[in-house]
Amino acid sequence: MKRLCVVALAFAVLAGACGSSGSSTKSDAKVGPVLVNGALPHFDTPVTLRVLTHDSFAVTQSVLDEFEAATNVRVELMPSGDAVAMTNAAILTAGNPVADLIFGFDENLLGSVLENNLLQEYAPQRLSAVDPSYVLDSSGMATPIDHGDVCVNFDRVAFAKSATQIPTTFDGLTESSMMKKLVVEDPSTSTPGLAFMLATIAKLGGGDDTSANAKWLSYWKQLKGNGVSVVDSWETAYYGSFSGGSGKGDRPLVVSYASSPPAEVQDTSLAVESSPTGVITDTCYRQTEFAGILRGAANPRAAAAFLEFMLGSSFQADVPGQMYVYPVVTGTPLPDTFAKYTAAVSNPLSLPFADVAANRDRWIAQWSALFR
Amino acid sequence: MVGALPLMDAAFKSRGGTHRSSVWRLLAATPPLAFLGVFFVWPVFAILLRGLRPNGVWNLAAFSDVFSDPAMRRVLWFTLWESIASTVLCVIVALPAAAMFARLRFRGKRLLWSALLVPFVLPTVVVAVSMLGVIGGGGLAGVNLNGTVWAILIAHVFFNYAVVVRTVGATWSTIDPRLEESARILGAAPWRVFADITWPLIRSSVAAAASIVFLFSFTSFGIVLILGGLSHRTLEVEIYDQTAKFLHLDIAAVLAIVQLVVVVVILIWFGRSQRRRSVLVNQRSASETEQSAVTSSQRWLIRSNILFMAVLFGIPLGLLVVRSFSTPSGWGFGFYQALTDSRGGSTSFVPPIDAVGNSLLFALIATVVALALGLCAAWAIVGNGSDVSNSRFSRWTDTALMIPLGTSAVTVGFGFLIVFDEPPLNLRSSLWLIPIAHAIVALPFVVRLLVPGLRSIDPRLREAASILGASPRRVWWTIDVPIVGRALAAAAGFAFAVSLGEFGATAFLARPDRPTMPIAIYRALGRPGDYNFGQAMAMSTILMVLTIVVMTVIDRFRPAGVSEF
Repeated sequence: MKRLCVVALAFAVLAGACGSSGSSTKSDAKVGPVLVNGALPHFDTPVTLRVLTHDSFAVTQSVLDEFEAATNVRVELMPSGDAVAMTNAAILTAGNPVADLIFGFDENLLGSVLENNLLQEYAPQRLSAVDPSYVLDSSGMATPIDHGDVCVNFDRVAFAKSATQIPTTFDGLTESSMMKKLVVEDPSTSTPGLAFMLATIAKLGGGDDTSANAKWLSYWKQLKGNGVSVVDSWETAYYGSFSGGSGKGDRPLVVSYASSPPAEVQDTSLAVESSPTGVITDTCYRQTEFAGILRGAANPRAAAAFLEFMLGSSFQADVPGQMYVYPVVTGTPLPDTFAKYTAAVSNPLSLPFADVAANRDRWIAQWSALFR
Repeated sequence: MVGALPLMDAAFKSRGGTHRSSVWRLLAATPPLAFLGVFFVWPVFAILLRGLRPNGVWNLAAFSDVFSDPAMRRVLWFTLWESIASTVLCVIVALPAAAMFARLRFRGKRLLWSALLVPFVLPTVVVAVSMLGVIGGGGLAGVNLNGTVWAILIAHVFFNYAVVVRTVGATWSTIDPRLEESARILGAAPWRVFADITWPLIRSSVAAAASIVFLFSFTSFGIVLILGGLSHRTLEVEIYDQTAKFLHLDIAAVLAIVQLVVVVVILIWFGRSQRRRSVLVNQRSASETEQSAVTSSQRWLIRSNILFMAVLFGIPLGLLVVRSFSTPSGWGFGFYQALTDSRGGSTSFVPPIDAVGNSLLFALIATVVALALGLCAAWAIVGNGSDVSNSRFSRWTDTALMIPLGTSAVTVGFGFLIVFDEPPLNLRSSLWLIPIAHAIVALPFVVRLLVPGLRSIDPRLREAASILGASPRRVWWTIDVPIVGRALAAAAGFAFAVSLGEFGATAFLARPDRPTMPIAIYRALGRPGDYNFGQAMAMSTILMVLTIVVMTVIDRFRPAGVSEF
């Protein structure tokens, strides 16, 4: 028994020692341009780059291999929860980060990322190819990588069966024929839930009204009176409550993404008008995802190279198929199903990210007071 | 080895050497307590301090903020009563099953015993989506319990049933049935036999199981979020939001302290009720105590238990399995085949065999660590077998090991991030964190199952054996191993199951990508479309089958001569 205990103790110490490798010199010096004649740089000695991502991050392996082969950089992906938990974990370790690069915080998190001095400056040379409307951070810390839209999706089959008109606006969702038909996510626990709440603020106004009678809150009162169901997460809403496509629930309206309908199409010869689900484009709220080099990164130059790679044509073209989002570089070709079944969102709603950063917690508190 | 120490203890004691005995106990308690200190106390302490003493200045305003907020008081009150209600309900419905497994022989018993742990390992969201298909809007049951406290209670019973049945059942089966038989022959009514004979003998294992169920319900997170709707929030949910969502570390720290205080108070209370221990009785092996159902009441016991399990587990899990075979193009293995389709070589693709391999590897490491530390801890707690009085030291060690079960995963996880950030312990992005976190959760199970086993060894048995000339090794092999062996197998089963199913503590820690089965399931479920949903169901079904196989194998690893389950 004693020997067993000693072995266990030794094991614990060993476990500690094993994890203590690899901490190179850290520098906060500004990273200069890394591209060589527009191409990715090649590092003479092999480098390991750690990329902090949210759990939904995905890239085609062969595309990643291209980067590794061209640069001599080995990429270690570190998924760490949803975008909010990932960002807050990074804030907690600001200055002594677990990774070199962070990917996947959106404009609703951008404010706190900048406020907490999480990133170091780098101006990607390939930023010039990006549609300027996505470049929100003028300080040159956060680089836009992709964008998507959070929108209400509808179950085409259910609406056809009940011979009800599919609503096309926010007001349509509060009509009596939509009683108990909509399921949304809790803005305090879910990213699409937060986006939909922000959409109502952007659309209906009253964001600076701290009272319970703010315009957007009155709209939520109507939704509540109309039997809206609020659940914790996208998974519960889409698979547990939504009736369309692969959903197993009984509600024909759900807050999801503009890119969800293509995922419900098995047979690509299907006409768009008869695909199982569709999008109410008037309810769409813009979401842009950013990446940045973490302050205190062990390998800032490799991180900069990866940023350039993410804005390169192969990664940008890979983004829709892997993460169900759109590229930010203008002129990037889209996959066929994506182009065909995803609704074109011409004028998505949005709010200035500084406003969101300043008011988000209060808005959630106001919303919670109504629903809890 | 194991037996040598108690034997030496006995020798020392006969020469008045109780002092030596306590030195040995302290030595044995060191590794588990050191492990706990480094991987639990330190990170938790650090994150609390970060919240309450940011930049080196105490800021205790959060205390008054929290205590003056009626919403927070509601949260605390709800957390308390839902966990007590869940525990009571779970014990009541699980005791008849424990009796059935302990006393009766029936077909499929071993398989069912292994399968009991399936709900314990399945990811919450998968079970919740299946449950919504039964008790949600438009569900099979025809009654919508979604968002009610009933849905929470049912789910808590679902996840914790095995804890009570397996813990109490294992103890119950070793009780000599002749005790009960003689009471009955002497004219005692069945309830009288239960109250006067059986209950005093099983009550300490009931308390052990109930305290674990309480802690799991007290720190319930996913179930409350998914099935509880908006109006039901636990302290755990609140701590998660304040930490991971809002980064209000001061409020989170106050809530975590409240959680800690309640957990410690409840554990001490449970510890007290365990202290009035039963007398030492000769243990019987299960094959001696079980019998075929002969009377109508015995047959009724089996039928009603099986019916209960069929409804509670069979329907939602059956729905899950059915959905894993129900593809858009009809019944078949389409989703299982899709598991091996890499979607054009995506980095998010998890080859199913890798997920299974990673899960098994982490579970194996966690189990070995938890068993090694658990044996040390259990031995320290029990001390010399002849020392029936439960010392303060034992109680505190036991309570200390239980506390992690009652602590928020996000508190520990974020604590890891800020303490293990410098060499020599730059562990925060190490793969070791996963089995270490699992071992911390598994440790209380191991201890709770080993302690009764070690305690039940009558020291006179060892003394008799050594007087008759057996070497210490022989004593250990013939006396200790057979008796502790069964508890060890049960403990290994729980430790393995804890690790296979664990998702909370490590899910939001940055770590090099080595996805386990629960992570593969969440990844599939995080994307829309029939094939993603179907793959999540298929992977869950594989996890269920794997659990049954592993548990059956572990249950077979018993020392020869003891036919315990």
